[in-house]
Amino acid sequence: MWGLLYATPAFALVTIFVVYPFGSILYHAFTRWDGIAPAQWVGLHNFRLLLHDPLFLRALRNNLIFALSVPVQLIVPLFVAYAIHRRVPGWRFFRATVFLPAVYATVVIGILTATVLQLDGPLNSALGAVGLDSLQREWLGNARTSIPIILLVVIWTNFGYNVLLYLAGMSAIDPTLEEAARIDGAKWSRVLRHVVVPSLRRVMEIVLVVNTITAFAFMFTYIYTITNGGPGYDTYVSEFYIYNQAFTNQNMGYAAATGVLLVGIVLVIGLVQIRALTREER
Amino acid sequence: MGTVASAAADSPAVPRFRSARSWPVVVALALFSLSTILPLLFMAATAFRTQADWDRNKIGLPTTASLGAFERAWTGANIDVYFRNSLIVTLGAVTLSVICATLAGYSFSKISWRLRAPVYYFVLSWIAIPPLLMMVPIYVEMVQLGLLDTYGSVILLYTALNMPFNVYLMTAFFRSLPDELIEAARIDGAGVHRTFLRIMLPLAKPALATLIIFNFLWAWNEFLFALLMLQSDSVKTLTVGVLSLQGRFTTDYPALMAGLLITSLPVVGAYLIFQRHLVRGIVAGTVK
Repeated sequence: MWGLLYATPAFALVTIFVVYPFGSILYHAFTRWDGIAPAQWVGLHNFRLLLHDPLFLRALRNNLIFALSVPVQLIVPLFVAYAIHRRVPGWRFFRATVFLPAVYATVVIGILTATVLQLDGPLNSALGAVGLDSLQREWLGNARTSIPIILLVVIWTNFGYNVLLYLAGMSAIDPTLEEAARIDGAKWSRVLRHVVVPSLRRVMEIVLVVNTITAFAFMFTYIYTITNGGPGYDTYVSEFYIYNQAFTNQNMGYAAATGVLLVGIVLVIGLVQIRALTREER
Repeated sequence: MGTVASAAADSPAVPRFRSARSWPVVVALALFSLSTILPLLFMAATAFRTQADWDRNKIGLPTTASLGAFERAWTGANIDVYFRNSLIVTLGAVTLSVICATLAGYSFSKISWRLRAPVYYFVLSWIAIPPLLMMVPIYVEMVQLGLLDTYGSVILLYTALNMPFNVYLMTAFFRSLPDELIEAARIDGAGVHRTFLRIMLPLAKPALATLIIFNFLWAWNEFLFALLMLQSDSVKTLTVGVLSLQGRFTTDYPALMAGLLITSLPVVGAYLIFQRHLVRGIVAGTVK
């Protein structure tokens, strides 16, 4: 009896603030709802509208561009983690600083980015000071530069988290395996490929899934603080779309449908990635 | 499973890179490290400058060590109130998380009861649900519960959203403690609560440190739900409140940077102190 009682607070909080909203969103995705009056059932109407909505499709395309961070995060942190794992000079310092970007609030990173890159901001001044006036531009003023910049910022922020995940995986590998391979004369790249990577499949799955979810579901704060979706709708992402539909237009049902569709997309991409990864290993 | 109890081992047997050829790697890592510290340096350098200084030149070190920007942010732009609110919300969420997750973790690992396994997996199954999906119904729910614009809204929500991970962490930790401890306590006549409070909880300190640092960083830095729920200046947290330092037409950049620095220092400090515990938590979440 005490067992149930001890688990009750955790169970209750999850049920009230996670499970109930989840059920609510599944239901309301099929309704017209302003959040106050009772919802009206409209079947698949919201989804039909969504798939023909150019703004949503554009937002989704931007999410896909930000998902380009996934392959980068899968590969580069692996090498960095391996260097730290093999104790390159300064490894303790690198291990401590690599996670620092993930410690700053995303809001702080976003405002700093916007500040440094504004037209009369520090970056353009610095370029002018060293005679590179030709490179000065309004960095956040059009999609050709703003999207790569946001992508870079997102990669930079989450990079250390992936390094630590890989490091955790590497610390669980029997060190004698690596030592044996090295004594046999294997180069570091061969040891990494044939000894280390095969044991990291589970970590790689986590890295894939976490970074995919980030690209589709954790972009709001970056966009809100760096470009606010603009100029125009250049850097609009799906979460912005949900936010505006729900809180500017009061289309709560439509926003719910967008959320459900997005989670479906993330789930499918995640499963496909994991399938691909596990097949390659076989 | 013992990995939760033992730290991310600095195993000495791993062959080291010490050859002369490793220098390009070291240089690359050093450059990246520099980029991670740069935001702190930029915020500090700009916050100590005067506004006139900034207007004249966007890059440069402060010519006078002016504290004016901190004063304009702290008292002039409400940062003192936002700081207090962040502290209340974060401490509230961390405390509630610690209580709920240790109780549940202990129950799921050391007390046997009917439905234990299904309830455990039920709680755990929400670990990767992106909160974005639920911003609409959570907002509506908070309105209905009358919690909108109160500390309670975000404290309860932050606790709930991180609960699956927290419960997982504590369950894994308690599982790694030997059952004989409980058996011995029972023979000594200690009841369930006494055993939990006097024997198990003191042993759980390392796992609690991990739990606290994770939830502290998360709650302090959270933005989207704070933006949705906390609308009055009297309850806004720093991540939302600091936006008010961005003027519509002109911005006092030294004051803005002072605000950002004030927002960052507690988490950076906490990270530096509890770094080991954070790494340990990531190990616990990965190596199964």
